[in-house]
Amino acid sequence: MQTNRPLTFDFRLLLGSGLLFVVLSLAWFLDARQPDAVELIPTLTGKPEYCLTCHADLPEISASHPVETFGCVSCHGGERLALDADLAHSTMRGGANPSDLSVAEASCGGSSCHSGSEADDRHHIQRVMTSIQSTYAGAIAGIRYTFGAQTDLNAHLGIRAVTDEETKTGITSLSSFDPASEENPFVQKFGENCLTCHINAAPREGEAYARGTGCAACHSTGEHTLSTAIPYTQCNACHNRGNYDLRTMTFIERSDHPTQRIDDYYQPIGLFTRCEYTLDCVDCHTRSEVMGDGDIHKDQASIEYVQCRTCHGTLEELPLTRTLTDPNDIAFKLDFLNPVMDLKLGDTILVTEKGEPLWNIRVLPDGTYEMIGKATRQYFTFRPVMGTACEQKPDEQESHYCHECHAVEK
Amino acid sequence: MTNLSRRDFLKLARAGFLWLSGALTLGGLIRFLDFEPNPAPKTEFDLGPAANYPLPSRTLLADPPAVLWHTESGFSAMSLACTHLGCTLEDGADGFTCPCHASRFDADGRVTHGPAAQPLSALRIEMTDDNNLILHTD
Amino acid sequence: MRPSFFHHLHPPTIPAAQARWRYTLGAGGTAIFLMIILGVTGILEMFYYAPNPQDAALSVQTITYHVPLGWLVRNLHYWSAQLLLIVSAIHLLRVIFTAAYHRPRRFNYLLGLALFVLSILLDFTGYILRWDMDICWPLTTGTNLLKTIPWIGNFLFRVAIGGGEACSTALLRFYTWHIFGLTILVVILGFWHAFRVRRDGGIAVPPARLRADNTRISRNELVRREVLAVLIVGILLLLLSSFFPAPIAPAMTGKPSAVENARAPWFFLWVQQMLTWGDPFIFGVLIPLGVLALLTLIPYIFPKPNEAEIGSWFPKSNRLAQIVVSVIVILVIFLTLLSYAN
Repeated sequence: MQTNRPLTFDFRLLLGSGLLFVVLSLAWFLDARQPDAVELIPTLTGKPEYCLTCHADLPEISASHPVETFGCVSCHGGERLALDADLAHSTMRGGANPSDLSVAEASCGGSSCHSGSEADDRHHIQRVMTSIQSTYAGAIAGIRYTFGAQTDLNAHLGIRAVTDEETKTGITSLSSFDPASEENPFVQKFGENCLTCHINAAPREGEAYARGTGCAACHSTGEHTLSTAIPYTQCNACHNRGNYDLRTMTFIERSDHPTQRIDDYYQPIGLFTRCEYTLDCVDCHTRSEVMGDGDIHKDQASIEYVQCRTCHGTLEELPLTRTLTDPNDIAFKLDFLNPVMDLKLGDTILVTEKGEPLWNIRVLPDGTYEMIGKATRQYFTFRPVMGTACEQKPDEQESHYCHECHAVEK
Repeated sequence: MTNLSRRDFLKLARAGFLWLSGALTLGGLIRFLDFEPNPAPKTEFDLGPAANYPLPSRTLLADPPAVLWHTESGFSAMSLACTHLGCTLEDGADGFTCPCHASRFDADGRVTHGPAAQPLSALRIEMTDDNNLILHTD
Repeated sequence: MRPSFFHHLHPPTIPAAQARWRYTLGAGGTAIFLMIILGVTGILEMFYYAPNPQDAALSVQTITYHVPLGWLVRNLHYWSAQLLLIVSAIHLLRVIFTAAYHRPRRFNYLLGLALFVLSILLDFTGYILRWDMDICWPLTTGTNLLKTIPWIGNFLFRVAIGGGEACSTALLRFYTWHIFGLTILVVILGFWHAFRVRRDGGIAVPPARLRADNTRISRNELVRREVLAVLIVGILLLLLSSFFPAPIAPAMTGKPSAVENARAPWFFLWVQQMLTWGDPFIFGVLIPLGVLALLTLIPYIFPKPNEAEIGSWFPKSNRLAQIVVSVIVILVIFLTLLSYAN
């Protein structure tokens, strides 16, 4: 009996030591099970980040943002050292979309990036913030005017407050549109139902409406992809997805997926010429029209200006051209970012009346024009109107006159 | 089995577990301390456009300490870290002198006076497509 | 053999009554073991911790995610610190509820109380050293409480954090207080406390003539019990550390917005709860200090317990002290739970 108690005690000690060994081994095992951290030291920051431990399979976002240079954290934020998904993602800018306009300045901005000076044509964020795509000023003004909430058609309110100190349009600022403070029930309803398509807003549910907010709304053309070759399908997420019923102030989604461009288009016009459904929107519409020009505009019509004649000219005038003599011409940069043309010094390209290059359209020696689709890379040639049998009156040269004869039968 | 031998067995097993636990702890300690929290030092240095180094020229670089020659036969570079214990050498009329322990090297990097034993090491120079010079220290 | 400090703590034999688990709860010894773990893991963390505002939280992430077994070291440090507070509190309650605090142990009681306060301060400063988004508001309110003290408040504030805005300046001071200032005091007082245990006649039991059980245990037996306790606590710590990671939050970049976590660390929740009631000086300083003062005065204001009852749980002659302390404990627990409910 006397030896029993100590023996029990010895046994307890043995059990304790055994368990200690087991638990220590367990800790080693848990340590060995941690993922092998994949380090990336972007040359831009020089600071190690470990995002690639889990995200190694993401495609390169664009040729202009190689991961070796920019890494992930410069744009996305997040905790660069954390290997725990929750902690690592907790401080990401804009969740999965750092280009959301609430954080775009931090993610995409900076003087060497997209909020550089206007002179360098690098004030992209200011342009987008003030653009109609972001402010929705025209629609808000139109609805409020119609229902008597304002007495003129000028833009006073935007989706969010913006200012433009150096305005050329006379609009120096917009206040934030707050549907809740509106008195007219129609305007309130407009606020509830009709604000889903400016790029501050999250898109409606459904694959056909899928797009990011902010810059990604247009430029994110695939999973983790940024591009300036923007196909019409990207624009379709907003511009061809349903219609508004102004009587009930509701949005009626279309149930089908547009596939036949000629048949399935109904906005913004009813008649289409061949180029309007063969080309992509960005083949005709310029950067300033789509992204804004840095000034606050009162509605869409005051920023959109490209017409059929911009490329085709009129009976009396050829389209405007520019011969590229300056190696710093913006046309070269745009062609570099989406290399479809291989522009060279001495090439002559079309330009708009505001001087914006239509850099994917080159004048051929015989006086016709060649064009390469920015997104499709399709090759086209076309002639100017001058010298053709067109009988349109010289003072009726807006696009809608062209449509009367040249619309394609559906 | 007698009580005594059972007791000895318990004791042996206990000692075994404790020794193993100690070994795991020690091993863990070694692994814990054997970690570099800072990124490895750079081995690539952008020296800028090759045109900055005309022919013929001899340029002393500060970071990394090195000397860069541009001669008829092209660009070449030599480290100016003393092969003894790594101090940066001082450039003199007849070669390089180490301020730490007075090793001396001639202009081509050969040891003329100890305690250094190894000659200075040549560094690789790379010319990029856009005519930038890259110095490699690895 | 020359007597060493170890032999001072472990004489050839001691009364069995002084080493009964159900009497001592092993709390004092466990606290010493936890302090040793804290010292060792703390030193290991210092190999990687960078005490400057830009890098501190990032270096904590480095320890947690990149240093081999670093997560284990950090979790061990964290869990040892939390357990130390609990074990110290149990130790204190055991001493009060068994009437063990009277002369000749009165001075050691005060030493122990000081060690308890230092442990709380160490836990708070250690928590702040994370320097992530979660610590800013507790740090701000905690140090601003000092400022509410009349006359010396601003002085104490400067001593604690070096002045300025807590979330940008306090790190270096807290680092030094944590690693040197408070730690050195704990080491000195800790050794003194352990030394005084034997000097005062060992753990409190009635004198030999009043003891029912006069058996003694040997030094070997005592050490074996301690080894067993160490093994149990060690295993528990390793298990906690393996499966329940220490809290961590995103690195602080500028001042966090108001929506970030403003919850005090768990041991200060009862104070935080009272702070919602009004004057911060009264609820955040005076009342906690009052509690401390009351605990300090226990050996002085309550009647000396009956000698024969020393070392037994809840002796009659000590009822009043038991009731007062129980009320305080229940209130603190209640306030803590209340703050979780909010």
